[in-house]
Amino acid sequence: MTLAKKTIASGLSEAEAIDLAKAGDAPAFEGLYGLHKRRVYSLCLRMTGNTAEAEDLTQEAFLQLYRKISTFRGESAFSTWLHRLAVNVVLMHLRKKGLPEVSLDEALEPQHEDGPKKDIGARDNVLAGSIDRVNLERAIESLPPGYRIIFVLHDIEGYEHNEIAEMMGCSIGNSKSQLHKARMKLRDLLKLSRAEKASRR
Amino acid sequence: MNCKQFQEVLPHIIESGGNPDQEAHLQSCRECGELVRDLRYIADQARLLLPMHDPNPRVWNNIQKSLAREGLVPEDRMSRQGHTMTNSPAQKKSWTPLGLILAATAVLALSLLLVNYRSTNPANQENLAPPVPDNSPATAANADDHVLVSQLAQQDADVAGAYQASLEEVSSYISDAQKAVNDDPDDSAAQEHLRDAYQQKAVLYQMATALLLE
Repeated sequence: MTLAKKTIASGLSEAEAIDLAKAGDAPAFEGLYGLHKRRVYSLCLRMTGNTAEAEDLTQEAFLQLYRKISTFRGESAFSTWLHRLAVNVVLMHLRKKGLPEVSLDEALEPQHEDGPKKDIGARDNVLAGSIDRVNLERAIESLPPGYRIIFVLHDIEGYEHNEIAEMMGCSIGNSKSQLHKARMKLRDLLKLSRAEKASRR
Repeated sequence: MNCKQFQEVLPHIIESGGNPDQEAHLQSCRECGELVRDLRYIADQARLLLPMHDPNPRVWNNIQKSLAREGLVPEDRMSRQGHTMTNSPAQKKSWTPLGLILAATAVLALSLLLVNYRSTNPANQENLAPPVPDNSPATAANADDHVLVSQLAQQDADVAGAYQASLEEVSSYISDAQKAVNDDPDDSAAQEHLRDAYQQKAVLYQMATALLLE
């Protein structure tokens, strides 16, 4: 929520809390945690799709924050800096775990290569106006990891392809390609979900 | 240009638009048009997704312990209350329609508090929201939001604008979650979304009401 960024519970502004936390003030750090925990945790959860991993990574991100906050110079917004830190924590974790961040061999399903998809139902079967956020969240959870990470970083978190390429060590073209595949897969998942719901009625 | 050729360059078209040939195909081919519209729609909807989940309180407890273990912060320097606003997974599972009603009631109670504040403050009377003929819960909630924003606007237009944007986001989230619950009343995940949405709205009302009563 945008309003939460104005002040923290103790009445300090975020900037005041940052300055105090840089000096090792524990309550100020706690205030920053309260302010940013939801977004950092949601980022970790969406990128990993796993609650336990997301909790561990949130913890690690804030521990790194505590250790590194003195290096924050205010050249970007604090939230931007913190979220970049959190993304790096998640990507580092995935590298260690050996999960494919960007899988070059995750081929598109054949119908995608051959032309517009013509499955599920009628010709006017467009999604526009028919999906809600709950279904979209579920569909994102179902994406293969490589697709999901790029989709979360670009379409939800708002990173540009050049930033994603730098963070993930891939080419800009690869980032674009993976994003496109992710959206195509989501389209399939959302149409499938809608068809299943319709059939239950 | 045929569909296959169009699809090969689709990622580029979605990003930065097409050339005249590609645009012509897009206009003439219904299926490619639908595809492009869907992909843009998905990207647009994704931008509207809110960070919805709070971490379990044990995350904060573990951070405290780690900092203490590393000697960075004495454990007693941190708050003893932790961040306990989020329910544990076990508690989440116990949420029932009654819980959802209670969350909704919290929002209504805060609305009443706001109305009470408004009625005891004659200076605010002229800014009352217009009468709302529709008595549906969603419309009533929107009317409450409108009153709240109007009151805040008297104190600070920027703050009111921020609250309005947040309330619209949360109302939209509630609407989506309610739709999911209506589609499947036994869907525990949908219930969780709905509960989270109402909690977010309750927090907004708490913050706004505190601001008004300052």
